[in-house]
Amino acid sequence: MNQKNESIEKDNELADIADRVLKGRMESSASTSDEDLLSLERTLLRLTDAFPPEPFDEARSKQMLVRLKARMRREEEELAAKPSFWKRLFDFQANPQVGLLVAVAAIVVLAIVTLPSVQPPGSAVSGTAFSGSSIFTAVGLIAVLLVFYWMSRRK
Amino acid sequence: MTTNYMQNTLIPLQDASDEALIQKYMDGHKEAFDVLYHRHLPKVYKRVRYVVPENDVEDVTQEIFIAALKSLSSFRGDAKFGTWLRTLTNHKVAEFYRRRTRKQEPRLAPLSDAMATVTGGTSKSMEERIFLQRALYDLPENYREVLLLRFAEDLQFNEIAELTNQNLEATKSLFRRAVTALRTHLEK
Repeated sequence: MNQKNESIEKDNELADIADRVLKGRMESSASTSDEDLLSLERTLLRLTDAFPPEPFDEARSKQMLVRLKARMRREEEELAAKPSFWKRLFDFQANPQVGLLVAVAAIVVLAIVTLPSVQPPGSAVSGTAFSGSSIFTAVGLIAVLLVFYWMSRRK
Repeated sequence: MTTNYMQNTLIPLQDASDEALIQKYMDGHKEAFDVLYHRHLPKVYKRVRYVVPENDVEDVTQEIFIAALKSLSSFRGDAKFGTWLRTLTNHKVAEFYRRRTRKQEPRLAPLSDAMATVTGGTSKSMEERIFLQRALYDLPENYREVLLLRFAEDLQFNEIAELTNQNLEATKSLFRRAVTALRTHLEK
């Protein structure tokens, strides 16, 4: 019980010290004989010394508001000048990877469409020998595209 | 100088509550934000000054107000505007340190800042300030908060107790633990 009272007393004493420090009534530490409180008081003084009060007048506040508005205007202009997400995505010069992906996807779709559908065993297979060669063509085209992409990256 | 008045009620904008100003802004009266800005800028600036290097204080402060302006429509008034802005400030400061950590090793940053900044003090006092800023920022959030409310915002202990929904005794106890933790950090 005594220990609790002592602790509350210390809390109050440090709070009072903080009040005095903030009011600028304490230049140097020596307001208490308690070693622990004295050390905490030094910490508070260190804090107030490092952050002396900084005047914040109306003129400064107005200047900052002007700068804030200018910055917001600039950001809005930048945002308006920026092309949309889709435009940027399909800008193949800026995003060659996307261009390559689109080309590969188109070739794959083309290859799938030209393949004959799977027939049950024993049924007659109609069509030409085109299906086999179209896969090779597709793979060949993808390879050529990859080479072009690799070469453009090296430039 | 002309005085702006609240529509219907003839209350000058300067005397209107934060919530009334927000409503006014939402109704298209952009000048209401200017009043909010002038009202809250000193507190926000002082709070940021305690935890962010001198060079970046204005920048971070402006970012806070830009974010506030952008999300003003989402302010529902569940908490006071000041409390909402304080939370936003803490988020922006945390974001500042996250960005900074990605760019460089944070422990090395303060000394380079101290060398770069000479305005408002000697490099030694600047170094001390940055050392304290870092120590404050490294404290657990509730410790940092009570110190900032008392020192940066100059709130009295009973006001802090009210704001944090604690009794005065608990607030003072938290304050002593916070100062003790700060001392430990500074002694490291």
